[in-house]
Amino acid sequence: MSINTMNSRERVLKLFRDEKVDRVPCFSGMGNVTTEGLKSLGYKFAAVHLDAKMMAQSAASTYKLFGFECGVVPFDLCVEAEALGARINVYAHSEDLLYPTIKEKVIHNEAEMEISVPEDIAERGRVPLVQEAISIMKQEIGGEAAVGTYVLGPFTLAGQIMELNDLLKLSFKKPDKVGRLLDVLTGAIIKIAKSYEAAGADYITVREMGATSDVLSPRVFKNLILPYLGKIFSELKGSTVLHICGKTNDIALFMKESGAKAISVDQKNDLAETRKKLGNEALIFGNYDPYNTLVTGDEEKIRSAVRKCIDDGASAVWPGCDIWPTVPPENMKTMMDEINKYGG
Amino acid sequence: MANTEKEKELLERLKNGVIQYDEDSVKEAAQEVLDVGMDPNEAIFDGLVSGMEEVGRLFETQEYFVPELLMCADALYVGLDILKPHVTKMDMGVRGSVVIGTVEGDVHDIGKNIVKMMFDVAGFTVYDLGRDVPLDKFIEEQIKTDSDLVCLSAMMTTTMVGMQKIIDKLKAKNPNVKIMIGGAPVSREIADKWGADGYAADANNALKEAISMVSALKRMRDESRQQTK
Repeated sequence: MSINTMNSRERVLKLFRDEKVDRVPCFSGMGNVTTEGLKSLGYKFAAVHLDAKMMAQSAASTYKLFGFECGVVPFDLCVEAEALGARINVYAHSEDLLYPTIKEKVIHNEAEMEISVPEDIAERGRVPLVQEAISIMKQEIGGEAAVGTYVLGPFTLAGQIMELNDLLKLSFKKPDKVGRLLDVLTGAIIKIAKSYEAAGADYITVREMGATSDVLSPRVFKNLILPYLGKIFSELKGSTVLHICGKTNDIALFMKESGAKAISVDQKNDLAETRKKLGNEALIFGNYDPYNTLVTGDEEKIRSAVRKCIDDGASAVWPGCDIWPTVPPENMKTMMDEINKYGG
Repeated sequence: MANTEKEKELLERLKNGVIQYDEDSVKEAAQEVLDVGMDPNEAIFDGLVSGMEEVGRLFETQEYFVPELLMCADALYVGLDILKPHVTKMDMGVRGSVVIGTVEGDVHDIGKNIVKMMFDVAGFTVYDLGRDVPLDKFIEEQIKTDSDLVCLSAMMTTTMVGMQKIIDKLKAKNPNVKIMIGGAPVSREIADKWGADGYAADANNALKEAISMVSALKRMRDESRQQTK
């Protein structure tokens, strides 16, 4: 007997509105396109980043094939950097699964850090393509599943448009200078995210993985980065998630203070501890390992991972990162089966 | 090798210069090492490297994070650049060459550069392929240079998966080559499953792993030499 009395869209939207849901939702704010989905459409991975329809269909296929409760575009982390003038590589020659990367940075040295953001940033690069993909997905699955998208956080975006090496050292040596850059980038991110909201995204995840405690001290996170994240979340009107991967237990409270509606953490976070720290009301999404559990794990490993997320207090069973596309179909089915059994 | 008071003081200054990422202080001390005729090899290992060991501890206990680590590495290189040309023999008990790079699809090279630094100080010959390196390039370079060790780095789950292919191909061409994989998403479990000889989730344990692998390689050679006798 099914415990489900809502469809996926209702479930996810109610969760964001702090209303009661029939069971714990199982979705993501990051990429979850699968090789199986691409195969069903006859698309090559390298091609789906450059065509709104193909992008939307690919993203929707994870819901259609497995009942995973959302569709999320885009799949790569270069959209904002490209709109700011970076050149990207989509590895068009490759048959392998390679995500687009930045080929040519915008800022090449410290002297070039004083950039300004064009007024029409949300019309540049592939931003309009992602807007269109959101609209198409909305038509295709928007009545049944939640439609999500993401933007990078300002620090992670700074690491895309200049050498990460320099950015990290300067955030220590010249925090004011880095702060000014983050402020400018925050403006760009707000414009782009608002255009996604206008296109019909049900929720937006801000991915600030560059600010993980594996890399930066919680003190630097709080002083240098948190104020700008706060600015983003105060400007966005819809449902929002702040995602940071790696070590996050020491910054979980700051993540919540950013004003994001929900926080998302990966498998390195002790979620039970985070739940205790943030209290019962906080929305915490996480935190199964999307590769070592979902792609390569056996049935029992997947089922117990789903149960552990729920037992630890996750508000949604949600991956720690993008789901690697080669995930075997039976593993996706196992996960959805377990959430239907155990999620109530 | 008896240390004079002066030598002890210089080692201390090199060490602290690295820990406090003070490039000027390292530069001065390194120059003095040469001026007083001290063994530069000793200055590298008992000064710069022991400073880096302390940095490793500070990193582990989360007093230092990556920005500090990068600045310490800069200070170490300032000293290394001055001292290394004057080193006549590297006495670590190992000799080796290594091919290192970040796999295709990944443009993050901070972890790779930290590991590379450790090979540099240990006296390895390092063939650095850079970042976003096509899979076959690792294999070509290993064969060309007959390197003992290949190090693959990936910062993201989405690029880590490509390493498995390289490992398979390398092992097929040369079963004796040692392979080390590294990067945030890498684990012991993955290294074992894919047949890598070592792994380093961060730069700290990378050098130790590298040295023990090359030592193992030497032992294997010695043993096979004895058997053929």
